Amino acid sequence: MMDYTNQIQDIAGKLFSEGKIDVFIGYRNTGFDTNQVPALITHYKDVDQLVFNEKSDFNLTNYLKYEHTRNKRIGLVVKGCDSRALNLMLTENQINRDRLYIVGIACEGVVNELGGKAQNCLECIMPDAVVFDELLGNPTGKREYKINTDVSELTGKSLIERGILFEEVFENCIRCNACRHSCPLCYCAKCCIDQETSTLYHGANTTSGAFHALMTWSLHLAGRCVDCRNCEKACPSHLPLHLLHKQNEQVIYENFQQHLAGMIRDDRGAFYKYSLSDPDDFIM
Amino acid sequence: MILSCNENLNEMNLITYITDPAGLQKFYEAVISTHATFAPVETFGKFDYKPVTSLSECDPGSPVPLTRSMKPLFFPKSAKIMKYVTTSEGTAVSDTVDDPLAGKRVILGVKHCDARALQVLDHVYKWDYLDTDYEKRRENTLLVSVRCDEAARHCFCTSLDWDVEHTDAVDVAVIKGLDGKVYIQARSEKGTLLLEQHPPGEDDTSGSSAEEIRKQYASFAGSFRLSMDYKTVSAKMKNSFDSPAFEEASSNCISCNTCAFVCPTCHCFKISDEKIRDEGVRYKSYDSCNNVYFTLMAGGHNPRLVKYRRWRQRAMHKFSYYKERFGVNLCVGCGKCTVSCPVNISIFEMVNQVADTIVTASQSCE
Amino acid sequence: MEAEVNDQIVSIEKPHLIAPAGWQPLIVGILCNWCSYAGSDLTGTSRTQYPPNIRIIRVPCSSRVDPWFIIKALQTTADGVLVSGCHPGDCHYITGNYYARRRFLVTKKLLNFVGIHEDRVQFSWVSAAEGTKFAQVVAKVTGDIKKLGPLHLYKKENRNK
Repeated sequence: MMDYTNQIQDIAGKLFSEGKIDVFIGYRNTGFDTNQVPALITHYKDVDQLVFNEKSDFNLTNYLKYEHTRNKRIGLVVKGCDSRALNLMLTENQINRDRLYIVGIACEGVVNELGGKAQNCLECIMPDAVVFDELLGNPTGKREYKINTDVSELTGKSLIERGILFEEVFENCIRCNACRHSCPLCYCAKCCIDQETSTLYHGANTTSGAFHALMTWSLHLAGRCVDCRNCEKACPSHLPLHLLHKQNEQVIYENFQQHLAGMIRDDRGAFYKYSLSDPDDFIM
Repeated sequence: MILSCNENLNEMNLITYITDPAGLQKFYEAVISTHATFAPVETFGKFDYKPVTSLSECDPGSPVPLTRSMKPLFFPKSAKIMKYVTTSEGTAVSDTVDDPLAGKRVILGVKHCDARALQVLDHVYKWDYLDTDYEKRRENTLLVSVRCDEAARHCFCTSLDWDVEHTDAVDVAVIKGLDGKVYIQARSEKGTLLLEQHPPGEDDTSGSSAEEIRKQYASFAGSFRLSMDYKTVSAKMKNSFDSPAFEEASSNCISCNTCAFVCPTCHCFKISDEKIRDEGVRYKSYDSCNNVYFTLMAGGHNPRLVKYRRWRQRAMHKFSYYKERFGVNLCVGCGKCTVSCPVNISIFEMVNQVADTIVTASQSCE
Repeated sequence: MEAEVNDQIVSIEKPHLIAPAGWQPLIVGILCNWCSYAGSDLTGTSRTQYPPNIRIIRVPCSSRVDPWFIIKALQTTADGVLVSGCHPGDCHYITGNYYARRRFLVTKKLLNFVGIHEDRVQFSWVSAAEGTKFAQVVAKVTGDIKKLGPLHLYKKENRNK
């Protein structure tokens, strides 16, 4: 069981007292629930609200988007997957590295609502933070890529069975856009699938609209998704969004030189690179 | 002003049947076989109200935190309100569109908070103009509820301004007594007729069931983790526009629209047109005041660009403005917003923080 | 009563969904301006016949094609989509089609994953001199879609239902 509560409180306290940051983003318990929620601490006196243990699951890099923290100096806690998202945000020039103080965690996996280890943690490829100013815990290094069990199960089913499952998925989408708001890599101010901002698409909440939106969303994230499951946890309809993202991740891993998002700084997403030997045989 | 607790409902006069769990199942089956019925059906781990043709497909006693409200049956996520076709002779517009939700129907497994939400919504849908679609759906629906045995983590319905025990928001109330029997009570004329049509058990003419029903309510009311002093909060909310607590309480909100979409009383909507070639359909779909661009105006000005202003608007609308206009609170205390929120923001916590009446939960967490 | 027809479940009461007599597929063709569009032009001027089911959209380069377009086409009126660009190494913008072919592969696989048959979305490299090839490509795609029948999965507004 990992618990870095004390270390994080110390680090945050030190940063505030040295005047190095304006806001520290971590986790806190609420008095009203057992979940941990993201906390944006702005005062030294609130530092003792911070906690970190195996329930700290939300990907905090989501708060690096402009609308949440604007131009402030930020202290941040990141686990392995979170730090890969951060790497990508840095690569894509969404945030200035100088403004950040990053506390990296060598993560041992988070638990889901039922108490067992979350699925994405069981299939984790990089539990240690890849970018940090300070690392807590013992790094265990990169792990072997595993194909997601749900995806391989579905691949074994017939086309028609998959069509039935996904029709139900898209029918239950209420187009709330919680998935894209909670994804750290969805930072477009004018999102093309968000009906409020899209100049291309003012869709109603239909099954067909959900098909269009979710497919386009996952294809825009392909090669950039770090499998933090923020989207799936945010979805009020409990849609299995990881199926789409993991399917893309698998195709990209198997066909494009084993590319994984955000492992190396300045390595852009899979669709921003090419190789002369990319598979071509499906093209006439 | 509609009475928020039905003083006319004298419990002694309510028609009540006594039966047992097996009798309850038979009653449900009888209703399903004779009426178009909606009941909670499990999809991806949560329960939505869907049309059912047999009791095996659904679970009227579905767990409270996983059950979405039946708002989509009255205010669907996407409703067609108009159709148009353009031909060489001009454009023909028709607003009689087949409404799949307008037929007579019974909804099983309704929670009392969601039913109360419909009563609260009735005010705004009849306010400046009568929303005929909504009215028709309300008229043609019979609500059969299951009174909760105990409160879920985020429930606070008993702390607000409506009478949870005697509410007439449902037509038939199913109460599972602590003695193992099931009490089925008619709370309206429609409910009485249904129970006469399918008597679920013995008619309690002696009035002995009233005691058991009260006991069940007492046990239920005692199971609440959250409670607040509504009168104080309500009075303080009126003057809380400039409170700095809004900013603090909403700092981790990600403006994802989820709370407004799952809330049984939220009714904001947007209109959009979808067309292919010469035919088009106009839809009315859910919207949320939490969205960044909700108040974006032509010309580019957006008074609620900053996040805490949107949360202030939401909390004030629910606990202050709606109350001033219609006399009832726009929040019914169901807690669905908190359950669905990705970062667990609780409107209960927020209004208490704003009104400076912060209370700790009465039982420790888990 | 429902039956599996080719790649979708169709209700027997709706025979118009199972390629009725006289049904013609509608294929959206997204062609890059410098090679494929010019190639299709050549097909026309050489009077080479190809099936008239294709509706062509001209884009500057095959890498302009966002999966958004392909999905939108399938969601609205198209039964199939053909995307065509310059041969790798001959892109007018040097590297566009290299990026594009990565996107194409992932899009095709994802559509297959959610229940849309692989043959409904096809890709080709057609150069400006390959008039006959373009005709062959269109003929092949049209033939494949004819075999699969009309697409009604995820259609906008349940158009065909």
